[in-house]
Amino acid sequence: MTSTTPTLVAAAAALNASKIYGKDDSEVRALDDVTVDFAEGQFTAIMGPSGSGKSTLMHCLAGLDTLTLGKVFIDGTDLSGLNDRELTVLRREQVGFIFQAYNLIPTLTALENITLPLDLGGVDIDEAWLNEVVSAVKLESRLTHRPSELSGGQQQRVAVARALASRPKIIFADEPTGNLDSRSGAEILSFMRHAVNDLGQTIVMVTHDPVAAAYADRVVFLADGKVVDEVTSPTSEQVLDRMKKLGS
Amino acid sequence: MRGVVARKFRIILTVFAIVSGVAFVSGAFMLTDSVKTAINSLFEELRGDIALEVRTPIAFGDEARAERDTVPAALVSGIAAVPGVSSVELNIERESTIVKPNGKPLKTSGPAFGISWLGQNGLDGRTILAGREARGPNEVAIDRVSAKRAGYVLGDTVTLVGPTGKQEFKLVGLTGTGKTSGGGGASICAFDPVTADAFLGAKGFADSIYVGLEKGASRSTVQKEIATLLTNKYEVIPGEQSAKEIAGAINDIIDIFGKLLLGFAAISLFVSAFLIFNTFAIIISQRLRELALLRAIGASSSQIRLMILGEALIIGIVATGFGILGGIGVSKGITALFNATGAAFPPATIAISMRTIIVALVVGIGVTVTAAMVPALRASKIPPVAAMRPEIGFTALQHSKRLVAGVVTLLVGITLLCLGLFIQPGGAIGILGASGLGAVLLFLGVASLSTSFAAPASAAISRILPFPLRPMTRSVAGRLASRNAQRTPRRTATTASALMIGLAMVSTVAVIAASVQKSFKDRLQGSVTADYYVTSDGFQGLPPVFAEKLAALSELGKVSPFRASTAQVNGESKQIGAVNVDMFSIVNVKLTSGSYASLAKGQILVHRDPARDLSLSVGSSVAITWQNGTSSNLTVGGIYDDSAVAGNWLVSLDVLSQASTAPPVDFFIGAKIADGVDIEEARIAVEIVAEEFPSAQVQDQAEFQKSQEDQLNQLLIIVYCLLVFAIGIAVLGIANTMALSVYERTREFGLLRAVGMSKRHLKRSVRWEAIIVSVFGASLGITVGVPLGIAVSIALPESFVTGISIPINTIVAVLLASIVVGIIAAIGPARRAAKLDVLEAISAI
Repeated sequence: MTSTTPTLVAAAAALNASKIYGKDDSEVRALDDVTVDFAEGQFTAIMGPSGSGKSTLMHCLAGLDTLTLGKVFIDGTDLSGLNDRELTVLRREQVGFIFQAYNLIPTLTALENITLPLDLGGVDIDEAWLNEVVSAVKLESRLTHRPSELSGGQQQRVAVARALASRPKIIFADEPTGNLDSRSGAEILSFMRHAVNDLGQTIVMVTHDPVAAAYADRVVFLADGKVVDEVTSPTSEQVLDRMKKLGS
Repeated sequence: MRGVVARKFRIILTVFAIVSGVAFVSGAFMLTDSVKTAINSLFEELRGDIALEVRTPIAFGDEARAERDTVPAALVSGIAAVPGVSSVELNIERESTIVKPNGKPLKTSGPAFGISWLGQNGLDGRTILAGREARGPNEVAIDRVSAKRAGYVLGDTVTLVGPTGKQEFKLVGLTGTGKTSGGGGASICAFDPVTADAFLGAKGFADSIYVGLEKGASRSTVQKEIATLLTNKYEVIPGEQSAKEIAGAINDIIDIFGKLLLGFAAISLFVSAFLIFNTFAIIISQRLRELALLRAIGASSSQIRLMILGEALIIGIVATGFGILGGIGVSKGITALFNATGAAFPPATIAISMRTIIVALVVGIGVTVTAAMVPALRASKIPPVAAMRPEIGFTALQHSKRLVAGVVTLLVGITLLCLGLFIQPGGAIGILGASGLGAVLLFLGVASLSTSFAAPASAAISRILPFPLRPMTRSVAGRLASRNAQRTPRRTATTASALMIGLAMVSTVAVIAASVQKSFKDRLQGSVTADYYVTSDGFQGLPPVFAEKLAALSELGKVSPFRASTAQVNGESKQIGAVNVDMFSIVNVKLTSGSYASLAKGQILVHRDPARDLSLSVGSSVAITWQNGTSSNLTVGGIYDDSAVAGNWLVSLDVLSQASTAPPVDFFIGAKIADGVDIEEARIAVEIVAEEFPSAQVQDQAEFQKSQEDQLNQLLIIVYCLLVFAIGIAVLGIANTMALSVYERTREFGLLRAVGMSKRHLKRSVRWEAIIVSVFGASLGITVGVPLGIAVSIALPESFVTGISIPINTIVAVLLASIVVGIIAAIGPARRAAKLDVLEAISAI
């Protein structure tokens, strides 16, 4: 077990984080005293069996859910001190999301979906950056299309571009390849890799796919709400091996 | 679980819409039934022991409302001598206004009567509730409700104004009628017969004579016996006959009121139908997968159809049940409202007849099931494969020949409407039937077509609103609102259509009212040059003595009363006006031929329209039969082409009084100041005379105009209030649709919140969508309503409307109001959207 004390320079960190559902006998600890941090400019995968608490950890880190005990930080800001409005602004400005089920707004065009967080904040759009993001995910010819006119892979590329568009401190991706065929999945993962390598983005991805995890710089393993293991520069074989151990 | 709750909410709204419609329908029936029963029994009681009544017959017309000649009191002795007659009473009933202690006349919702009364032992059914009957020249008994409303108690000195002027009496008794303590809206001042004759100016004549019988005497024998005493100028009838006639006349008024209520019930049911239609359409698309699954496991399409219709049937039955209960509330509420204004309706048990229940059931269930018909049909067309691939089901639902059907419905509607308004087949029923059905089809056609342009219209509205601020489309919340309104054009259109109907009615009425008002004003300004008008705010007009007193004032130059009577011309009932020649200096009656002076010679002046219809010209002769049977052959002395105040037929006051001995009543008096007299001075002189007649209202030209406009405005307010109800149902519809939109877009809202939309912006987005829908509805309503109002105004006879006026203010107000409507409708749904838990919402299916 290699739990480090979170540093304030980390893009995101959890400190003795616990999430407890129910009381007394029926108490369930979705997160049990988790301390972990995610360094800037790194691509981290969180893995673990169903019910291990990986999604809960991500939701709490992203300010979508609240902890029972402990603290989470985004770029040094303690989220437990923020109210709903401040959390909303934080999500808009510091955090990007990529969901499993694309989660685009069907009435908006691809471009409008990409610029949504910027538009919501009333921020002027940096055209150069937008072009770079759009070309990175190869969506130039699809910008005026509605989500219903795009394939699953294309929709998820829009989601990636949306997450990148506001230059957030950190992007959280929840099973981003879960709904995609392997070719589209690989495409998305290499886009994410590219965003970390070339654009200096920080990404935290929850996945159960060892192949996906192999794209990351570091894999954190969770089981029963605890951080149980960690691998840096993993290969898919390594990841699979660890997972098998966890399962047994 | 959330789906069930959402559906429950929607069904409650739907049920409420039907309940309110059915409540109005059944309430209208219950009200008319129970009030009629009560009125009939009241008049039966009022008849008391009157076995026979002697009165003058009428040649034609409505028995109850006829102006009858009087009966000489001298007939009494002859009738009293007939064997079998126990007692004979004079029936004198004239105006007698009660003046309140503060000098103002007591306002009543019915006429203000002074009567001759012998007390409890007399023949009629009036009772003494306190004190005793009036005896002697200075005593009066007043019905308890009116005395209380005026603020008088036994022993007080009461000022009354009758046909002979103002007089003070001592209040010695409080009376009741049958079981009630009032006069059914009228105020009743009872005097002894001698006092009544003097104060009420009967001068030895009575309206009729009441006859009571000895025990055991045969009524028909006595009736025959009395008949032989009378010339054919008089008739003797059974006592209950005239009671029935009067009760019938009151029942007619109640029926009109009932029909008005039914009209509004019809409008609100029509609006409800849209709401029901929408609810079922929504429920079906929500249950698409479930219905497809049923089809997949072997349910036939007709079974699906019957299932949906069955659900509609259950909702209809439940709602109708509540609606009938609500009807009791409606009818009690209206009765209470009338009693509060002094109507003193007899206490009536609410009559729920079989017919009421049957009509309520047919209407309530019928509307529900009919409205659910199309959604049910659509549900039955869902292909089984949609169970696996829901998107296929939706495309299957999109197919429709809506455009063609909409255009055809619209055209048929407009044709019928024009037919009803302008060709007017089959009289009133034809006009109302054809134009009513035409209007319904017109609304349905527009509602159906509006689906086709709901999307572009929503886009346009969102680009304009909120003018002149930043248009909606420039913000994310606004853009989302706009796109969401365009996303389901059918739903947007149906929701907006419900609002359209109410607002179309409002704009129709507004255009008609503005046109009537404008025409009236124009005509008044052009034709009336009087300095003063005296009108009565009571029911019985002004006693002629008033005009005589005004004429005697040296400050006034010309004075003429306007009197009117009913007569038959060429077999048709017409209103004949009577004035003196002075009137032509007061009111502009433009003669195209003949002379004003001919009027004084006993000739008749005729408006050009009837003159043309009957090919009359100056010198031709007109046969007129007055209501008492007298016929006169009058020579046409002139033809005029304006009838603003004068009506279509004018004779002199002398001609009228020679023809009829019915107590004369002046509708209004016109007066012009004498040359050289100061306007203030003249006004003071007029006011001094008017003080004796508390129901008289002296107005100068501007005041007269304003009071006429106020009357119209009051009527309008009542109509608007009732229409607000229909609009209220439409608001429910918008709220319903928005609630559903929020439910359907849970996941989108979750995502928006996740990527940084604040609660405030989310609420704004929902609110703006509702505003777009309601502004769309209002625009449709105005687009339909204004031309409809213009068409009706054109169709109205020229005596009402001469020019069209479009009330821009009202139209702008309607548009602004629709924005408010949208905001109100969105309150609940917006709050719910903001309350969504982000994580739960984002993972919702």
